[in-house]
Amino acid sequence: MKPALVPRWLFGLGLLVAVASATHLLAIWALPRVIMSRAMATIAGERPPAPVLAPPTDHTQRRIVMPSPDLRYAVCVWDVAERPLRIRATLQSLRYGSIALYAANSDNFFVINDRAAGLSPIDFVLVGPKAYAGMNPPPPGTQMVTAPSTRGLLLMRVLVGEPQADRPTVDTALASLRCEPV
Amino acid sequence: MTSAAAPALPVRWPVLAGLVAGGVVLGLATAWLSLKNSAAFGAAAGPWRVSLLAGSAEADLYTRARVAVGGLLALNRDETMYYIAGTDSQGRPLRSRCSYRISGTPPRARWWSLTAYADDYYLFQDAQHRYSINGANAAFDAAGRFAVVTGPVAPDTPASAWLPTPGDRGVVLTLRVYNPEPALQAAPASLLPPVIDAIGDCR
Repeated sequence: MKPALVPRWLFGLGLLVAVASATHLLAIWALPRVIMSRAMATIAGERPPAPVLAPPTDHTQRRIVMPSPDLRYAVCVWDVAERPLRIRATLQSLRYGSIALYAANSDNFFVINDRAAGLSPIDFVLVGPKAYAGMNPPPPGTQMVTAPSTRGLLLMRVLVGEPQADRPTVDTALASLRCEPV
Repeated sequence: MTSAAAPALPVRWPVLAGLVAGGVVLGLATAWLSLKNSAAFGAAAGPWRVSLLAGSAEADLYTRARVAVGGLLALNRDETMYYIAGTDSQGRPLRSRCSYRISGTPPRARWWSLTAYADDYYLFQDAQHRYSINGANAAFDAAGRFAVVTGPVAPDTPASAWLPTPGDRGVVLTLRVYNPEPALQAAPASLLPPVIDAIGDCR
């Protein structure tokens, strides 16, 4: 009988290492995507991409880890596979405010804050990674942001330094957010 | 004329299935351990650690996974830097049944806040919503230093800011630094780290 080219124990060890390595990398790769997907499903409910205003943060908030008690949040879950999304908001007279876009793998690929916006309202069009068939180009001067994924999440943060004094400007900013398919 | 085929080695399916299952368990265990090992996570300033790539599109697989578990929807460091401490300044793990005094100078930034989280990364229960101090509500001494006490019971000095940490579990302190100055962005370890001192006996 011919001896086996690879001893059984070495084949077994190789198989174990190969499966473990593949599982390890797959788990690390998939984890942020799974967590993002669950977060988007939980936050958006049945009404994407309409903005969802989160209540003031307290200990009962257990949807997203490390919620900041100093911020108020508004969220849009977006899907730009078929149509771009126009995003508008006003971030004026705030201690701090920003709009951040997150891809399906959780990367923060775009952010603009109140200082960068200055006195201008925020107004831009979010497009997907692939071109849209049969769609007219946007008007000249339109600010475009290209998403690396077709789905993702927009998070608007507004800082609340003194709850009573800041409330009018904070509420106005949060209510100004619009996420509308073009 | 027929030729005799070489005898095939019998496949031992139970052994094969065991190896595959063992590989899956080993892969998941090493993935969990690699995410738990926060020592490999960015730069350090005293007991505080900060990721250099949190929220960034340049984040590697492991950074992205760690941030998703412990800080999903983080901003990139141009916008916000997140300094996280799970030990006191002597290197001992933070526990909610113990009291700590955290003191320091405000970081070089537009805005900052210091929040106490339980080890599941959610806020401790507190009916009066005392979860953080920040650049607007912190009290400063004559030298411009702030101080706050965390622990299960209010500090003896009523004037001290207090962040309640009920129960007996790990504590994660997070120092958020909004719009950090360029020098701090470029050298995150240059933060003058707030000191975390254990005070009194643990309950």
